[in-house]
Amino acid sequence: MRTNAAYPSRSIPGKARFDASPYLFILPFFIFCLILLLYPVAYSLALSFRQATVETFVSGDMPFNGLTQYQAALADPIFWRALLNTILFAFFSILFQFTIGFLLGLLFQADFPLKNFCLALLLIPWVSPVLTAANIFKGLFNEAGPVNRICHLVGLGPFPWLADPGYAFPATIVANIWIGFPFNFILLYAGMRSIPTDIYEAAKIDGATFWQRVGYITLPVLQPVSVAVLMLGTIYTVKVFDLVWIMTGGGPANGTHLLSTYAYQVGFSLLNFGEAAAIATLMVLLVVLLNLLQLLLQRR
Amino acid sequence: MTSFAFSGRWWITVAVVIVTAILLSPFYWVLVGSFMTPAELFGIKQSLWPSHFAVENWSMALERLWPHVRNSLLVSAATSIGTLIIAAPASYGLVWKKPVGRHVLSSFMLVTQMLPAIVFVIPLFIVFSRINLVNTLSGLILADMTFTVPFALIMLSAYMKELPYELVEAAMVDGAGPFWAFVVVVLPISLPGLVTVGIFSFLIPWGDLIFALSLITESGLQPLTLELYKAVGQYGIDWAFLLPGSVLTAIPAVLFVILASRFIVAGVTRGAIK
Repeated sequence: MRTNAAYPSRSIPGKARFDASPYLFILPFFIFCLILLLYPVAYSLALSFRQATVETFVSGDMPFNGLTQYQAALADPIFWRALLNTILFAFFSILFQFTIGFLLGLLFQADFPLKNFCLALLLIPWVSPVLTAANIFKGLFNEAGPVNRICHLVGLGPFPWLADPGYAFPATIVANIWIGFPFNFILLYAGMRSIPTDIYEAAKIDGATFWQRVGYITLPVLQPVSVAVLMLGTIYTVKVFDLVWIMTGGGPANGTHLLSTYAYQVGFSLLNFGEAAAIATLMVLLVVLLNLLQLLLQRR
Repeated sequence: MTSFAFSGRWWITVAVVIVTAILLSPFYWVLVGSFMTPAELFGIKQSLWPSHFAVENWSMALERLWPHVRNSLLVSAATSIGTLIIAAPASYGLVWKKPVGRHVLSSFMLVTQMLPAIVFVIPLFIVFSRINLVNTLSGLILADMTFTVPFALIMLSAYMKELPYELVEAAMVDGAGPFWAFVVVVLPISLPGLVTVGIFSFLIPWGDLIFALSLITESGLQPLTLELYKAVGQYGIDWAFLLPGSVLTAIPAVLFVILASRFIVAGVTRGAIK
């Protein structure tokens, strides 16, 4: 970093003129940003204020009609169900992902044989395509599947997993926890590794128990990492689409929709692109709000 | 480095192996289940090991999926290469050359990472259908790049910050132009970073469903994920096809993880925290 700061002041012969090369290096990326990132985002925002349904899409005029799409979205009970689901989905996913990741991180602070091998294996749920996880849990929660078998062994069930929204929704959360815990685990693990061990040694000599050391040293020192993990977790979980779309398609009876799957259904099944874009904009607001909330909580 | 807790105790290894086994049991189920007949898979007595290996599940799945594997390979490879071509010079330019407006671009990358896919899917579908990019693999590649390019730029910028810039200056003093210095000095020394980002930019489109679902309807062009998604039809689920297919979809990622675990831990930590 320091060398970079010194760079402009250093005089290289013939280099005194305006140097265009940085802009040339960035040019392809800049064009890409304009056409494939900025334009779609602006388009989506503009679309949310326009009537974009099958008829107007074919004729191509898509007239401006103000907040109608937002009003339509907010008047729909499924929207509110999907919003509540998204918040619950994010809350429980992150709660368990973080807890599992934290405990695993602690466990992996010890050195033992097979450590790197186990660590690599534990990353599989996270790097595998979501489709694989979705199909796995579709099978595990099948009415005659292993989860009901195990429930049967302890004298429970069978439960209508995936056939009843009250059961299907928690089932999707379980699947999402499985996908996301490795991400929490490696970040927290790496964060814990960077804590100097002499702090622990000192506490140990002073007679602190294991859980006291965790509570008074690991947790506070790890706070910046934890906040980053929680914020990234929030961003990722609010974005989840494939998992729920494959496992339940938002059903049964629209009971497991997240905002993402609901927006997709409104857009591509009901072909109301304007309202789907409005829901998409509301999703972005939700992500921003949740992150601000976390920042505020952290300040206190 | 000694750690603060219970190091060197034998029961740690036992505990970790048990915990790992429990957490990976869903993956074990799909792996073993891909060799079982549906009757055995969901029968009254469920076993942990197939009574006989139903290899025909795999041969039939592979035969049906092969054209889609080819589509996925093509799309993922092209996305990965395209992403590197755009993001490698750009991250170099942003990190080491400090152009005006670099903070705006970097923040915009972070913002796009926060946006849900639906924000891109709807406009890209509408625009691509107007310019005939729907139902083309190039359309899908461009769409996938909206995920991979911001991610690649963030990762590569973090990586390039830590490389010795003096080498580039030396090459420039020796008379190399900025472009030549980039090709001869920067690219070789940032190779590990480029490989990691290239692999991630391969895996992301490989697992993508939402863009394929909305942009590709022609069955000959459908990638692996879409073909598997569609296998869940109105007549129920063909598990003998779905499970081998799901394992097949996970193979590149699993291979990558096992070959490069240390690499990932370092890369992810650097990209996410800094």
